[in-house]
Order: sequence, then structure tokens, then C-alpha cells
Amino acid sequence: MLLIKNKNLRAFIVRAFPFVLIPAAAILGAVVFDNSRHLIISLAIAVMTLLVFAAGYEKKKVGTWRMVIASVMTALCVFGRFIPLFKPITAITIITGMYIGSETGFLVGAMSALISNIYMGQGPWTAFQMLAWGLIGYIAGIIAEPLKRHRWLLLVYGVVTGIAYSFIMDIWTTLWYSNGFDIGVYLSALVTAIPYTISYAVSNFIFLFFLAKPFGDKLERIRKKYGL
Amino acid sequence: MRGFGDLNPAVIMTYYLSVIGTAMFCMDPVVIALSLVGACALFVTLDKKHSLKLHISFFLLFLVMALINPIWYHNGVTVLFVVNDSPITLEALMYGISASAMIVSVLYRLRTFTMIMTADKLLYVFGRLSPQLSLVLSMALRFVPLIRTQTAKVRSTQKALGIYREDNIADTLKGEMRIFSIIATWALENGIITSDSMEARGYGEHRRTNFSLFRFTRGDAVFLALCLIPAAVFAAAVASGEAAFTFYPAMSGTAVTPLSAAGYSAYGFLSLLPCILEWKEDIRWKYLISRI
Repeated sequence: MLLIKNKNLRAFIVRAFPFVLIPAAAILGAVVFDNSRHLIISLAIAVMTLLVFAAGYEKKKVGTWRMVIASVMTALCVFGRFIPLFKPITAITIITGMYIGSETGFLVGAMSALISNIYMGQGPWTAFQMLAWGLIGYIAGIIAEPLKRHRWLLLVYGVVTGIAYSFIMDIWTTLWYSNGFDIGVYLSALVTAIPYTISYAVSNFIFLFFLAKPFGDKLERIRKKYGL
Repeated sequence: MRGFGDLNPAVIMTYYLSVIGTAMFCMDPVVIALSLVGACALFVTLDKKHSLKLHISFFLLFLVMALINPIWYHNGVTVLFVVNDSPITLEALMYGISASAMIVSVLYRLRTFTMIMTADKLLYVFGRLSPQLSLVLSMALRFVPLIRTQTAKVRSTQKALGIYREDNIADTLKGEMRIFSIIATWALENGIITSDSMEARGYGEHRRTNFSLFRFTRGDAVFLALCLIPAAVFAAAVASGEAAFTFYPAMSGTAVTPLSAAGYSAYGFLSLLPCILEWKEDIRWKYLISRI
């Protein structure tokens, strides 16, 4: 497994990549390259995602199981994306970030976007979906403690991220359409996306309401049973 | 040479990057039209299911996006008519039509990309760049069908036990949630067992190998040349400013020069290249059949 030995370098990657370099690459890709290099951009984001994830490792043993659990959670997300109307993908990403850690949350969010788009259709939006879901999972990992303690906070986070996801995706729509950021087009995109925004927020609420606690218990149980 | 889908995945990737990449740098109606024709023709050639629904939905998308621009933008000198004191201009309408035609042509291209670049080909390209990423990708891809079969099994078991009922929405939801919970537990345990098994077999000791092998053949080299040379000619025409088109304030293209004509025909060739390959294979196949 990819191991980063230098502690300072590791700390730098964990902080700099998700908040500075990855958004910069996504915006640069949309503005400078128009939408021509979306596959390169999503590839670059995927590689950076992996670096963030790898920087979270301490030991090799932990590495393998975390990676496999990340694949399982990703598969559950992709599987859930076939459910009509309500999508558990954000909820599962939040749960992963909350219980396993920020980096794994980021990886699950980003990989789910990449893999489910193999079925749904790849496009320039892939990079933005990877970024949006990745960040949702990453932030869930950072504020894991309060989220675990207060259920209402978790539900609020779910609704807010549902709306934020829609807003981030509309930034992409605007950039693609008008070759630059135009507030009028952005607002009209936000208005046309209202049904989707509501469906994202509601499905996050429902799935977090029903899944958060059981999933936490399941992950706890797995940890105890296999002594991880 | 073989059909377009049988080429080396890296070559296919290069083709898509160059054909989509070059078109995006130039908002020229001629180029967009060529791109749309090529993308649509390839989709129709490859699509065996004749998905009329998709064409209709793309056309509706095209109409909506084409109309957004003249409603929001009032630049341009030719006013067609005035609605609520805001002028609808010909230039804004034409820009909207061009931009949405470009987006629809990219959508058609991506459809064919999804059809051609199957999961194993994507893994082949990704695996070269990062083995770890490709491992997570391939494992997740394997888990998706596994989870699907297991869900079917769990559902039948629940039905046989008489626990799963579909009398009303509340019962259905409850049942579905229970099935999802069972699946999640099963998938997590399965994952841990997989990871133990991987460690026991020495995961991480050597380089990973691929399931499908793709060799770089002479046909791939020929296709790569046929794709990169026209792309370079077109890029030269755009970079020299001889193939340029402006919408605002008034629409104007540049005069036809040898370089711009070469650029346009190069892009037309690039856009239709996979179709030509597919049609050639098709004709050859029919010819061989007719000889039997």
C-alpha cells in the first residue's frame, strides 16, 4: 500500500488537497480548458483523492481493511443510486466519513460518483460530482464527534448538504453553458433545479434518520468481531 | 484494422480527448455542426437498440438550452421582436443554438464513450496510472453485482418466511429497510473476509496485473496517426485565427482561406473517423457473407 512516511508531508497533504488543490483543479478545468479535459480533470481529482486517503494511513494492516470497507461502502452507494427518486448516496457517504474517518469519507464519495457514472454516463459533471460528494464525506469526518452525539445536528447536516450539492452542481452547469460565471444563468439554473434540490434534501433526511444509528452499530460490531 | 471498439483503450481515450478537446476551443457553427453529425452518426451506428426515447430527450434538452440564452442575454444588433420591453436578438438566439448543439454533441459522444469503454477497459487505463485506485475501483465494481444477487436472495428468503409484506407503503418501506440492513451487514463482513484473504495471499507484494490484455498493434498506430494529424491541422487553423467566428455584437466569420478550409475538413474527417471504421467493417462483413 502507498505509505507516506514523512509526518509533515502527510499533514500537508491531508489539509492542502481537499480544500485548496482539488477545488482549484476543478475550477481551472472548467474555466481554462472549457469542458474539454473533463476526464483528465476527474482523473487528477481521483489521484489527489487517493493521496488524501493514503495520507490517513498509519499501518499497513489498517490500510487493507479500510480500503476494502471503502470499496464496500462505495458499492452500496452505487447500488443505492438505482433506487428511483430517493438516493442514499450522500447519506452513506456521510455515515462513512462519520464512523471511519475523513479520508475514507472523501474516497467513498468521489469513487461512488466515478463508478455510478459508468452506468449512468460519464461527462464533465463527473469531476464536480466527485468533488461535491467527496467534500461532504470529508467534512462529516471532521465534525464526527458532534454529529454522533446530537441526532438533530446530523439531520440538519444532511439537509444542508443536499441543498449544497445541488448548488455546487449548478455552478458547473453555469460554467459549462456560458463559458464563464454568469449570475443570471446561475440563478435560473437554481430555479429549474428546485425539484431535485428538494428530493436530495428529503432523501438525505430520510436515509440518515433510518440508517445512521444501525450503520454505526454495524461498523462497531465489525470492529469488535475482527479486532480491528 | 478492426472496429473502433476493439482498438487499444489508450488509443480510444486519445481519440475522445482530441475530438472533444479541439471542438471546445472554438465556438464555430461549422465545427459544431460537423461534431454533431459525427457524434450522432457514431451513436446511431453503434446503437443496436434504436433508442428513440434518447434522441427525443436530447432534442428537448437542445430546445430548452437554445431558448435560455436569448431570454437572458440581449446583446446583438439584429432585434427579432420585443417581449416585455426586452429585445430578443438574432445573435443571442444563434449563440444559444450553437452552445446547446455543442452540448448535445458532447452528450452523444459521451454516450458512445460509455458504450465502448467498458469497465475492464477503464480499469486498464486507470490501473496504469495508480494501482491502488484501480484496486478500489475494481473491488467496488465487483461488489455491485454481488450485492444485487444477494439482495434478490434475501428478498426471496424474507418472502418465504412470511416477514416481507407489500400491503401498504409503510410495510414496504419497513421491509426494504430491513433488507438493506441485512445486505449492509453481509457486505461489510464479506469485505473483511476479503481483506483477510487478500493479506493471506500476499497482497501488496507485487505489481497488479489486468484481467484483459490489450496490445498496441499496427492498427492502433495507424488510427492514432489518423486521429492526431487532423487534430493538429485543426488546432493550427484555430490557433492562427483563420477559423474563427464571433457572435456579438454582429455575427461574422472569417473569409475562407486554404488553412481554414484544411482545418474544417480535418475536423470533419476526425469527427467521422470512427464511423468510417465501423462502416468499413460492416461492408467487409456483408461482402464476406455474400461470398459464402
